[in-house]
Amino acid sequence: MERQVKAAYLYRFAGYVEWPAGALGAAHLPLTIGVLGADALAAELVQATAGRKVEERPVAVRRLQPGDSLGDVAILFVGKPETPRLKALLAMVQPRPMLVVTESDSGLAQGGMVNFLVLERRVRFEVALDAVERNGFRLSSRLLSVAQKVHTGGN
Amino acid sequence: MKRAATWLGTAAVACAAAAQGAGDLAELTLEELGSIEIVSASRRPERLSEASASVYVVSGELIRRSGVRTLPEALRLAPNLQVARVDGSQYAISARGFNNAIGNKLLVLIDGRTVYTPFFSGVFWDQQDVMLEDVERIEVISGPGAALWGANAVNGVINVITRRAADSQGVLAVADAGSRDQGLALRYGGRLGDNGFFRLYAKTDRVDHTASEAAAPVADGQRRRQIGWRMDWGSAADGFTLQGDAYSGKSDERAAFGTVQIGAVETEGANLLARWTRRLGDGSDFRLQSYYSHSEREDRLVYRPRERIFDIEFQHGFARGGHRLLWGGGWRHARDDIEPALFLGFDPQRKSSRWANLFVHDDIALGEKFSAVLGAKLEHNGYTGTELLPSARLEWKPVQGHFVWSALSRAVRAPARLDRDIRLPPQPPFLIAGGPDFVSEVAKVFELGYRAQPSPRWNYSATAFRHSWDRLRSGQVPPNALVQNMIEGSTWGVEAWGEWQPASWARIGGGLVLLRKDLRVKAGSTDPSGPANLGNDPQHQWSLRAAFNLPHRQELDIAVRRVGALPQPAVPAYTTADLRYGWRVSPALELSLIGQNLFDPRHPEFNAAPGRSEIPRSVWLRLRWTP
Repeated sequence: MERQVKAAYLYRFAGYVEWPAGALGAAHLPLTIGVLGADALAAELVQATAGRKVEERPVAVRRLQPGDSLGDVAILFVGKPETPRLKALLAMVQPRPMLVVTESDSGLAQGGMVNFLVLERRVRFEVALDAVERNGFRLSSRLLSVAQKVHTGGN
Repeated sequence: MKRAATWLGTAAVACAAAAQGAGDLAELTLEELGSIEIVSASRRPERLSEASASVYVVSGELIRRSGVRTLPEALRLAPNLQVARVDGSQYAISARGFNNAIGNKLLVLIDGRTVYTPFFSGVFWDQQDVMLEDVERIEVISGPGAALWGANAVNGVINVITRRAADSQGVLAVADAGSRDQGLALRYGGRLGDNGFFRLYAKTDRVDHTASEAAAPVADGQRRRQIGWRMDWGSAADGFTLQGDAYSGKSDERAAFGTVQIGAVETEGANLLARWTRRLGDGSDFRLQSYYSHSEREDRLVYRPRERIFDIEFQHGFARGGHRLLWGGGWRHARDDIEPALFLGFDPQRKSSRWANLFVHDDIALGEKFSAVLGAKLEHNGYTGTELLPSARLEWKPVQGHFVWSALSRAVRAPARLDRDIRLPPQPPFLIAGGPDFVSEVAKVFELGYRAQPSPRWNYSATAFRHSWDRLRSGQVPPNALVQNMIEGSTWGVEAWGEWQPASWARIGGGLVLLRKDLRVKAGSTDPSGPANLGNDPQHQWSLRAAFNLPHRQELDIAVRRVGALPQPAVPAYTTADLRYGWRVSPALELSLIGQNLFDPRHPEFNAAPGRSEIPRSVWLRLRWTP
């Protein structure tokens, strides 16, 4: 159930990111959600996005292995087991408009931008606004208004 | 608060989701995703007797979108409630009829604390306030909840549930300034060590007075202040909560009554509540709750009650075979001191009352599609001894997403001091001299309901009900009129509502209630006014609501409602509209422009012309800041 809710969130987040022009490639190309270290969630994500579009683009789900190229990934979800290596992974990639989502307490500290929290048996999320801005894109304020907490950097 | 965490809206979504998977969850909004309760696979999702009842859940999000400022106005959002604004600060609120300012058939709780006043079994709505921004949801159950909630839950139960401290962290400031009312509310929430959270709030409100239909100003405005706090450790299922509030209020100064100075109505009160919940090793859960509250009302015209209440209750829930059992008990002690004023007195002036109850509730699975819920409560009160309040319900789930239920219950409205001890005027010779033999009013209730959530985009619900009444309160011809139980009859009707989300940025909802009453005075009674005294109710009321999310972080909410004419005293039917335009300027700041009662410059909702208040159109600006 938790995985299904997180998968649904990932699909929804795509509609609340203000992608800079050209960031997602030509208009017919899919919006790719990459999943690292969370195979079961990737399966839910495939179900959640089947036949659906985000801003007229189909959605593609890629199961990633460490070392895979992230060049076409628009949203990267990093499962709990892979979170400790996130910082190193992001260090090897040029800052680009890619929403990094984690599900671990240390997620934002590792460079994540959105982190899932489970509070009172409900799935919520927190946002690190400074990480988003550093990568050259913006999040819709609708997303920010629903976030449990928005960190603006410095804390 | 009983284990009535009726996440009806979200439970319906969660149940649908559990079967259909992430695919249909993808249609939900961010807010809805954030409100789904994820249940671990090992336990059956909680499904309680209230699911087989006529329940409407007013969510915190709906309260915010509607722009309402006070608790009674928030209750208008529930289609199964009759809410009539009597004047600047008084309301008459009921469900399924019998509405008047001393309405006694509705049980109202805030976080498990009963806020209806035992000595007249009704609610002083000008003494009940909460910080609406921190209300998680309001569960409105129309119909008898007696088997679980006790006597006086005859026509319904309103359960106001505030957010846990962990869900109300940081600073929140809300300021309202408008043509008639102003208010300021501040809240701060933080952590308590490793495992705890707290919040603290303070609010002040000023409600403007109204004018009567004869255009004379009425001294019914009110200024009030309230502070409160809440501390939680652990989680809702396994933790400890301590909370409390204190308030004081003062109405406008009223003109002298003849030669007597009657001043203003002054109110004050405070409460303290502790709740301990525990999930035990065998999967069962346990709750122990206790509260103390005191309230005072100083009204030199009508009467001056002071009341202290102490309440302690527990419940234990467990599963055995196909049964999910819930049982528990409670004890309440109330001490009141009602000083006489010009109109009313009570004899004796001071009294201590005690109530004790024991209840049992069994949710029995009868195969894949059916279940039965059997419940009974035994309640003892000082006037009529022990009352038995049984209820039986049957639930049928023909296909996923559709739910049919039926219920048979016996509910009772036990005597209150108002019935037995009232003296009008306070000194003899009396016009009304109490009712020494007044016993409980009884209702036998049959309900049939249908609820469906065919897709996450729309849901609807309809309930048909019939209450058979006996021993309703009646009077006699004065002087020395006694309060008796000589009215009987039946009330029946339909409650329905639905919600549709045509696009991700629009939601439309509506509700309808139809009510018919057939009450008569029994032979042998000399009651001069008859059933009209028991409540003034419309035969129909409906509401329509639309919420739009506009580009550039703007929101527009429109609500239209119509309430049918009231028979006696005659009040014309009215249709009115409320509007809210909101703009999120930044993640921390939201501005809203809110208008209420927009169709007519003023309209009455209750009481007799020409002295009754007219509720005027009002507009205000709201600022909401969460840094």
